[in-house]
Amino acid sequence: MTDLTSSLPTETAPEDQGKSESARLGFWLTLPTQLLVLFIALFPILMQLYISLTDWSPLDGIPWYRAYELWIGLLNYIDLWNDPRFWGAMWRTCIVMAICVPAQFLLGLGLAILFVDEFPGKRVLYSTALLPMMVVPAVAGYMFFMLFQSGGPVNNILSFFAGSPVTIAWLSDPNLALFAVILSDIWQWTPLMFLILLAGMVSVPQDQQMAAVLLGASWWRRFRTIVLPRMKTIIIIAIAIRVIENFKVFDNFYIMTGGGPGVATETISIHIYKVTQQDLIWGYVAAMALAILIVLSVVSGLAISRMRKAS
Amino acid sequence: MTEIVLDNLGKSFGDFTALKDMNLTIAQGEFVALLGPSGCGKSTTMNMIAGMLEPSEGQIRFDGKPMNGMPMARRGVGFVFQNYAIFTHMTVRENLAYGLKAQGVSRAETQRRVGEIAQLLQLTDLLDRRAAGLSVNILQRLAIGRSAVVEPSIFLLDEPLSNVDAAFRAVMRQELKSLQRQFKQTMVYVTHDQLEAMTMADRIAVMDHGKLLQVGTPIEVYNHPADTFVARFIGAPGMNLLDGRITGGDSGPVVDLGAAGHSGPVTAPGTGPVIFGFRPEEVHPDPNGPIQMAITMVERIGARIILHLAEGPHVAKAVLDAETQVPDQGGMIRFSVPAASVRLFDAQTERAL
Repeated sequence: MTDLTSSLPTETAPEDQGKSESARLGFWLTLPTQLLVLFIALFPILMQLYISLTDWSPLDGIPWYRAYELWIGLLNYIDLWNDPRFWGAMWRTCIVMAICVPAQFLLGLGLAILFVDEFPGKRVLYSTALLPMMVVPAVAGYMFFMLFQSGGPVNNILSFFAGSPVTIAWLSDPNLALFAVILSDIWQWTPLMFLILLAGMVSVPQDQQMAAVLLGASWWRRFRTIVLPRMKTIIIIAIAIRVIENFKVFDNFYIMTGGGPGVATETISIHIYKVTQQDLIWGYVAAMALAILIVLSVVSGLAISRMRKAS
Repeated sequence: MTEIVLDNLGKSFGDFTALKDMNLTIAQGEFVALLGPSGCGKSTTMNMIAGMLEPSEGQIRFDGKPMNGMPMARRGVGFVFQNYAIFTHMTVRENLAYGLKAQGVSRAETQRRVGEIAQLLQLTDLLDRRAAGLSVNILQRLAIGRSAVVEPSIFLLDEPLSNVDAAFRAVMRQELKSLQRQFKQTMVYVTHDQLEAMTMADRIAVMDHGKLLQVGTPIEVYNHPADTFVARFIGAPGMNLLDGRITGGDSGPVVDLGAAGHSGPVTAPGTGPVIFGFRPEEVHPDPNGPIQMAITMVERIGARIILHLAEGPHVAKAVLDAETQVPDQGGMIRFSVPAASVRLFDAQTERAL
């Protein structure tokens, strides 16, 4: 009995020891997996960084890990800085983004405003509105490719209203082609924006809106002072997603125009594809890929810090 | 200050009748509590006064003007929501100024009135704080201030104390009551807590199942409940109700309570089944008392003792002073109820006789 009570205070010490011992064991046991995960995440980026500092190309007949034989330092990055085709593709990507993201945001917001209240037939219309998002991007590209043929439905409808045959060569006119591919992107991705914004709008507390009404606020004032500020975080998320995604547009552009005519619709992803598959200068591609990764990281970093501030 | 008249007001949602034949006149500057259990129609009534719901039947009049169809923004109604619905993304000042800005009041005037109301509610030091994270009593003051600053003629409060813990409720009740005295506005207060209604309201309207059962001052409702529901609902614990029969005794009619004995002499019209009602506080232990019941539980809560009593089909409670000598659990107690404290209800309709 006395032994038992006297041993009580010391009992905590071995327990603590056991705890730290088991923690150490856990560390060693999970170390291989942690290293593997780190390797999987970091290896492609490190490989790119390595290749980007060489003039390596698969045609040189040496394996990639011996690319150091063709070490050129930062030359790829200097070339990239002076490459008008790269900057052209960047510029077009920015134009696509500057048109698509605001258009998708405004359309999505408008749809969310319509769908936030109940009305008959809402569920059917809701599913219909989300449909474009479910279409495989390549298929969306094919659909718009067909729509904008010179004998396609778009020209048919225009002919009907014009009263005389319209044969606009949408996809082979440099300006119109960009318009057509931008339209396909807006068509496909407005639903995503709508979905995210609607979720945000539904979560704005009803009683706060009701309180605003009782205080005499108009719909617009309510929307501006209660609904939008409360959706701030979700708006930043939605726009950040679309900005990043717009850097990656490829499928529908590739199918509709292949980046053409000329380079009229050559965005950064299509440019990378061409340099990879046609020019085969892989060290240069690696440099380009890393540059874009940095740009996107900065964009998402800014979005996240804005979001932190907002909440 | 506005007089509110509810004239034969009714509301149904499909087949469900939420409110029926509600007739109530709330005088200028009066504080009326709509009291009842959840689903009794009190919130429906309030939402119709505010204009969030349209009545299915009847009319609402403010100072004689019909309000049916009038948009809520133009009714001059201030509404304090259950959770206060404070705009937490704004500062206290922006919250207070919201209604004035919405109604196009000039900048200088807005500033003056916000300053005034903040002074009155002791919010001046907090004006530039963000509303998120303020304590609940400040939120209540802010909610009232935000409504009061646009000078509504009517204040509606929807269970504003239901999210507050019990200890703090007493403080909030006091604060609310003193605010009402300052603003002198007509106030309608919805609650399911009889204590809130009793302590704050000028008059209480007791409701159940979409019907208005009784309107009166707290003391009237407490002392002369119109039916057994009101009798049970008001008071903590509520009134004891025992089924009995009126029979002729030696010195006038008494209520025969079967195994529990009988009441003292009562004034009753005729004989037959009756519901015998008395407040737990009106139980007077008396070795010669005519009523006898078994004690099933003894609760000692500081200044008072609550006895749970049972006998045959009857159950009752008694509230006694802590000093009272009472038998232990399982014992019997004999007691009497003063004739003036006895309330009789019709056995069928359960209305007061």
